Amino acid sequence: MGTAFTIQRSTRTSRVTAIVALLLVAVLFAAPWWAGRANVRLLGEILSFVALASLWNLLAGYAGLASVGQQAYVGFGGYALFALAMFLGVHPLVAIAAAGLVGALVAIPIAPLLFRLQGAYFAIGTWVLAEVFRLSFAQVAALGGGSGTSLPVGIVAGIAADRALREMLLYWSALAIAVAAVAFVVLLLRSRAGLALTAIRDSEIASESLGIDIWRTKLLVYVSVAGLTSMTGAFIFLQKLRISPDAAFSVNDWTAYVIFIAVIGGIGTIEGPVVGTILFFLLRETLADLGTTYLILLGAVAIFVMLRAPKGLWGLVVQHTGITLVPVRRRVVFPKNS
Amino acid sequence: MATSTGTGRMRALVSRRSFLTAAAGAALAAPAIMRHSRAYAETPKLRIGHVSPRTGPLAGFAEADDHILAGISKAYSGGIDNNGRAWAIEIVSKDSQSNPNRAAEVASELILKEEVDIIVAASTPDTVNPVSDQAEVNGTPCITTDCPWQPYFFGRNGNPDTGFRSTYHFFWGLEDVIASFLALWQHEGVARKVGGLFPNDADGNAWGDAERGFPKPLGEAGFTLTDPGRYQPMTDDFTAQISAFKAAGAEIVTGNMIPPDFAGFWSQAGQQGFRPKIVTIGKALLFPSVIESLGERGVGLSSEIWWTPNHPFKSSLTDESARQLAESYTAATGRPWTQPIGFKHALFEVAADVIRRAEDLEDPEAIVEAIRATSLNTIVGPVDWSKGPVKNVTKTPLVAGQWQKQGGRVDLVVTTNANAPQIPVGGEFVLLA
Repeated sequence: MGTAFTIQRSTRTSRVTAIVALLLVAVLFAAPWWAGRANVRLLGEILSFVALASLWNLLAGYAGLASVGQQAYVGFGGYALFALAMFLGVHPLVAIAAAGLVGALVAIPIAPLLFRLQGAYFAIGTWVLAEVFRLSFAQVAALGGGSGTSLPVGIVAGIAADRALREMLLYWSALAIAVAAVAFVVLLLRSRAGLALTAIRDSEIASESLGIDIWRTKLLVYVSVAGLTSMTGAFIFLQKLRISPDAAFSVNDWTAYVIFIAVIGGIGTIEGPVVGTILFFLLRETLADLGTTYLILLGAVAIFVMLRAPKGLWGLVVQHTGITLVPVRRRVVFPKNS
Repeated sequence: MATSTGTGRMRALVSRRSFLTAAAGAALAAPAIMRHSRAYAETPKLRIGHVSPRTGPLAGFAEADDHILAGISKAYSGGIDNNGRAWAIEIVSKDSQSNPNRAAEVASELILKEEVDIIVAASTPDTVNPVSDQAEVNGTPCITTDCPWQPYFFGRNGNPDTGFRSTYHFFWGLEDVIASFLALWQHEGVARKVGGLFPNDADGNAWGDAERGFPKPLGEAGFTLTDPGRYQPMTDDFTAQISAFKAAGAEIVTGNMIPPDFAGFWSQAGQQGFRPKIVTIGKALLFPSVIESLGERGVGLSSEIWWTPNHPFKSSLTDESARQLAESYTAATGRPWTQPIGFKHALFEVAADVIRRAEDLEDPEAIVEAIRATSLNTIVGPVDWSKGPVKNVTKTPLVAGQWQKQGGRVDLVVTTNANAPQIPVGGEFVLLA
């Protein structure tokens, strides 16, 4: 009795991917030497969207927490950076990390409130939360109230000795945030909590009956995603130099585009958000000058992908080839001769 | 198979990388070559970056962009002489989508990728502030307009003692709009009781500011201001404000609103029986399309006026008069003139003048120096930064007036020029029925 079998995770492809990913990070790290200033900045923006999309994907695609209010933490992180840098004189790069910590702390009391809501109600609840954040920050006169405020040039200049070094440091923070976000998602999914998450995604009731603490697992995911999203937000607004409630808590910029990226790339996969981000930026860089037509095209692409490839572009690739670049799934392998 | 798809993925990554490298190469190399050789080129080329809200809620401000830019490109087509050499001018225009995030991004793209030598932007703090911030940090010469100077200067944490390094702005200020509105309200039979509607946004906070905004000068001029506090933009219920105004016996309503908010307020005021004799609102009542959408209730509303076809100015670039510029727009598009037309044109007049005078167009510092020394009569009036209220800011004349029915259509008529006597008055102010 008892057919001998093994659990396999990594495949040859995934081992190759790991090496390629390391090489890619090294290449990206060296970007200030091979790309121009404009492209380094663009790469920084791309990386921040890789982080946002991967984190949203973890929430919605793995933990079943379909939030449409992640702009709450992007904006909160941005404001935290401005407050820390302007009032406490914290070095902006240190403030990015601190903003992440503050964002996670703020998410701890918020999570229990939101978790009382299910499905569509949860989604609406997260949006309401973001609006509450927006309206609250619009009342803070020291941060410009509804008008917003600019980061004083002195603070920006104080990041590094000269402009080239400052731009490099900023870019590397974006790279660090993106790598941290993707690595966090991968490592979490490979851990016990990840197994629990997959079970929760497939059936909450069944997983609860198996003894999974749903509430704690979701809390872990929500709070850590909030922290990393706040860090990304802090970086984004350090690049923008200016923050206002409407810009900080923009549902279009920080959630609609991010959902677009995750959906066209492939929700519930590690690779999807990266593929989606590349596609999004290809479209934006080539078509954004078309004005309204560009937005119509984005919508058309989203509709087309949802109809023809509901699992996203990466889902399509997986379906046709069966490859897994990032090993988060466990496969049962029976010996060939049994 | 796994391996082959693995390399497929690798190839995808490499191709993305090489795409970026190629893009970087193209973007970097072209201007780099140009930068080193253009002084010796047959016709050196100078690039002007332009940011404007072409789509989104602020699109009305940029409605005339295509027409104005076509006219400007024609005027620039022969090149501009600088130190005895003709420079070819290229304008790169980007859409901010009415979004301050996008405005900052396209501004940095213009500065870093297009490597523009001068950046210009117009229309509301949401466009000019993020663009100016990016220009300031990068040391790029920047000229902006079409946003009162206080939200521009103080909204960017400007310090009147030091000013900004490379960013300059021309428009009027709150003191002008207050003086013009006060002149408009000097009317027999109207109680000096004013209701104020100020939203919690860049303009509203500046207009309602206790020190720099409306409250103090109105009090000094003998008007009582009822200010129910900052409301959130895109509000759909103004009952509280209307009740407060009724209780205070306000006969004048003023403020700074966006068109949808004003439309909501005005219809609710009608429903709730609040009938002020004068309604003078900033920003909301600038465009003929908005007044048209209000129907009969749009007639008689009043607003600040920065520019009309009757302004006695002409373009330093094309020699067109204000009337000719407005009429050429109407002839080309079939649409009525709007106030931003003149300012959009003037932005490029100033740019051309700066290009003509700069000692060394290769040197951003020299361009900034030329902007600082500007003294030019434009289609919107004199632009001269030596006469600013604060550093980096100069003011153009402001008057006020009323939407009146003339013939079959509603037109914006200047009814007071107390603040700028050189602008002719076009009619008498009429109280609301």
